[in-house]
Amino acid sequence: MFQSSPITSWEGAEAIFTYADSPLGMAVCFWIMTAMLIVPLVVSYKAEEKAEADHQ
Amino acid sequence: MTPEEMQAAIEALQGLSNTNLEIFYYWCTAIMVLIHAGFLMYEMGASRVKHSLASGTKNILAFAFMIPTFYMFGWLIYLSMWQGFTYDPVWGEFGLPMSAIMGPNMADQATGVFWGAFTLFACTTASILSGAVIERIRMASFVVLAVILGSVVWNLAASWGWHPAGWLVTEYGYHDAVASGVVHTISGFFALGVLINLGPRIGKFNADGSANVIRGHSLPMTITGLMLIVVGFFGFIGACVLYNYGVGGGWTNIYGGPTTLSAYLFNTLMGVAGGIIGCYAMTRDPFWMMSGALCGVISVAAGLDLWYPPLAFAIAFAGGFLGPWAAKQIEKMGIDDAVGAVAVHGVCGVWGLLAVGIFLGGYPGFSSWDGFEIPPINMTGQVIGAAVMIATGFIPGYVLSWIFNKLGVLRAGDGVQRDGMDNELEGVAYPEEIRSR
Repeated sequence: MFQSSPITSWEGAEAIFTYADSPLGMAVCFWIMTAMLIVPLVVSYKAEEKAEADHQ
Repeated sequence: MTPEEMQAAIEALQGLSNTNLEIFYYWCTAIMVLIHAGFLMYEMGASRVKHSLASGTKNILAFAFMIPTFYMFGWLIYLSMWQGFTYDPVWGEFGLPMSAIMGPNMADQATGVFWGAFTLFACTTASILSGAVIERIRMASFVVLAVILGSVVWNLAASWGWHPAGWLVTEYGYHDAVASGVVHTISGFFALGVLINLGPRIGKFNADGSANVIRGHSLPMTITGLMLIVVGFFGFIGACVLYNYGVGGGWTNIYGGPTTLSAYLFNTLMGVAGGIIGCYAMTRDPFWMMSGALCGVISVAAGLDLWYPPLAFAIAFAGGFLGPWAAKQIEKMGIDDAVGAVAVHGVCGVWGLLAVGIFLGGYPGFSSWDGFEIPPINMTGQVIGAAVMIATGFIPGYVLSWIFNKLGVLRAGDGVQRDGMDNELEGVAYPEEIRSR
């Protein structure tokens, strides 16, 4: 769907790396991963606050 | 053989060598995962039942968060900060997360396996912190501290002292072949900084300052976990050796100095044995006896490429005495280190660095990498290196945990500690026979 491949055939390919000609795609993936690290921490903080309130 | 056939043979050998390199570090990394299986068992066993799942979850989350963050900036810091706090764009380019070699690339068989091995080193630093703070640290704050330790702090120190161009190495001859300082001292003293702000577990100390023993719910689980850590260390130690970088294609230490895998194996086994026996003689405590294996390996790690094996045994034996003694002194200071991480990793790590200065002084520095001049091993370099490792670990650990403490997000409240940290999670550890809440 993203058409990320820089090549159209394996024949004669020497250096193959994903998203090589798609810096925007790489940046999007990078920041999605960053968000996926931050959101669970926020969820964890909220769960901790609830547990603190429930176990005074 | 024609010149063309000769060239083809050379290229075939080079291809085989690259493949061997990949295989070697791939399996070293896989074996290193056992360190984390071991830390997981160790910490859960050392926790009381009502905290056991939280301890395990904390450990696994540190492992999981370390991998993407080490990809994002950890590897970059290691490669590029060897001059101190100055970024080197030439080396840094190899560690940028958007570099062409930081992913599937048919032209590069090395970056992925080296990145993987270093990521597992980073996970080890986080696990060292994880054990010290069980039963009262809040999960999210712990994860942030672990990421700072594993993906920023230790690799900064490693760039200075565990890199053929690192300023501690090239200016002072600092020698730390298997990371007594850059992994263990850093992590141990980072943990000490956090523990000062975190405070002890409820019930650890009496009003008169005397300490109570808080026993974990499964000593057999803890001891088995420690044995798994020892198994995993063989992967860790293998990944500290460079394959095919030496003169004539031999093994080298992390600095490019000549060595063999045999040297590492002689002294690793002597370190394990000396530490276990030393700790047993000192304490006759099964927990400390098995922790002695870590005391021993960490004590000999810095000079693992050079010791005469009986000397390695003696140094590890001394480390086996030093670990529990240091843990007792730390406890007398009112600091509750639940598993002795500061003593085992921090203090024994320093001992390992100083032992290199005492017993290996004068060994020539050497790097097969072009352009790197390394002075001979000397006591001054080891002392300076140890001081740098202590400060680089302690200061960020103390400052960050102080900030978290002021924000009220470092330590779980008394109610949660009393009822069990597992209350913050879904699931119970032992639902049928043993109360976990």
